[in-house]
Amino acid sequence: MKVTREKTENSQAFLRIEMEPAEVEESLEQSYHRLVRKASIPGFRKGKAPRAVLERYLGRDSLLEDALNNLLPQAYDEAVKEQEIEAIATPSIEIAQTDPVVFKATVPLKPTIELGDYHQIQLTPEPVELTDDEVDTVIEQLRRQHATWEPVERPANFDDLVALDIESHIEGKPFINQQGVQYQILHDQPFPVPGFAEHLPGMKGGEEKEFKLQLPKDYPRGELAGKEARFKVRVSEIKQQRLPELDDEFATSVNPDFKTFDSLRERISANLRLMAEEKARREFEERIIEAVVENSQVEFPPVLAEMEIARLLDQQMRRLQASDIGLEEYLGRINKTGEELREELRPLATKRVTSSLVLGRIAEEEKIEVADAEIDAELENMVQSATENKDEMQKLLDSPQARNSVEQILTTRKTIQRLVEIAGGSIDAQGK
Amino acid sequence: MHLYEVLRRPLITEKNTAIQAPQGKYAFEVAGEANKEQVKLAVEKAFKVSVTQVNVMTVPGKGRRMRGRWVMSPSWKKAIVTLKPGDKIELFEGV
Repeated sequence: MKVTREKTENSQAFLRIEMEPAEVEESLEQSYHRLVRKASIPGFRKGKAPRAVLERYLGRDSLLEDALNNLLPQAYDEAVKEQEIEAIATPSIEIAQTDPVVFKATVPLKPTIELGDYHQIQLTPEPVELTDDEVDTVIEQLRRQHATWEPVERPANFDDLVALDIESHIEGKPFINQQGVQYQILHDQPFPVPGFAEHLPGMKGGEEKEFKLQLPKDYPRGELAGKEARFKVRVSEIKQQRLPELDDEFATSVNPDFKTFDSLRERISANLRLMAEEKARREFEERIIEAVVENSQVEFPPVLAEMEIARLLDQQMRRLQASDIGLEEYLGRINKTGEELREELRPLATKRVTSSLVLGRIAEEEKIEVADAEIDAELENMVQSATENKDEMQKLLDSPQARNSVEQILTTRKTIQRLVEIAGGSIDAQGK
Repeated sequence: MHLYEVLRRPLITEKNTAIQAPQGKYAFEVAGEANKEQVKLAVEKAFKVSVTQVNVMTVPGKGRRMRGRWVMSPSWKKAIVTLKPGDKIELFEGV
């Protein structure tokens, strides 16, 4: 066996393995003994056919194929050992030629991670700002949710709720026909057709109106896109929105816990602040990770990205299953082939692999470890937060795999925590 | 009969392959009306070898029940040809 390393790039070694004819012959002989036992050839009892007959009966190529399939992993192992390289995943091997037998193996190697000086990265978190406007918007939304509708005797206006009888045709065919629909007239409402809402203000109770509308080019029902629809609309009732006063009573109606309007406002503002802080923290972490990754040199074999893509696809699949859509249908809906979807995921997968590699290395560098007690605490936490089947959850989490994955999650979390501390300046450059 | 009609097919079986190499004997199914002399000429012409001996035998057809009736498979003639030592017929040798 002769092994030559043709080149190494992208953390992949390209090996050329040339087998000696004697080695191949030996493997052929083994294959013959294995295959002859199963082959039933007319004129021979099982296992009694001589090799020449078997070769003629099965074809020399199929014998060779079997021999090579057996020879390959073994030869590959030896080649890897000889070259003193460490493979991290199954290689892709192709048979370049058969006489003499030459394999070409592409071996994914351990990723190389060169951390930059991540202690030098200094970032400051974005300050969290909460304006009164934001609180007001939420309150306004609440107010609308708790609005009451009262019938009025006046022409309809925007923001009014009207009861409608709609009759409409497209090229003589019925389009939408509904009686007594409750419809709120809003500006730029795209439903049922853009521009529909604009025709309604000014109509009185009991009034009928006919108008034409052009359906937009991107109308969801493709066969109707761009066509003209005739509408006949009758308004039977007009209701006006009555927003509740912003007082203590309103606060109590939102939630009986609130006695005064001020306490409601306070709670909303506190919640918003919490959300904003959480968001800011995540963004800050992301920025730090990005900076650290940017600072490092990472090279990994494409296999890792492929694996990550497969995992992402798998996750998507599971989501789809939950919503009862098959893969085919989903692909049809987003108008893509599976291949395109994979390609689309590639940058994301690459990014995720890179950052997880970098984080892993930093965890090593910073000697971040997770104590058993911490894992136990986290598991306990997970069980507690499970809404139902606590026992089942307990069982599920009580396996070494679960512990392992929890440990990994915790390690990552701690690593990020450490990075935040470093970048935020609470640990100085020496790591003290 | 024409020489080309003599040999029907080579017989490649466990027993026949066992006597090929050590004894130089090859078996054929031959036409029922062929005689030893014709088999000899046919083999020599077809495979460019020299034949030293020809043994022939008639293999009787075997009866079996088929749809309730007793039917016979046809009898046929087998010839075992011994070649001059060193000669070989490639047809039997595998590809």
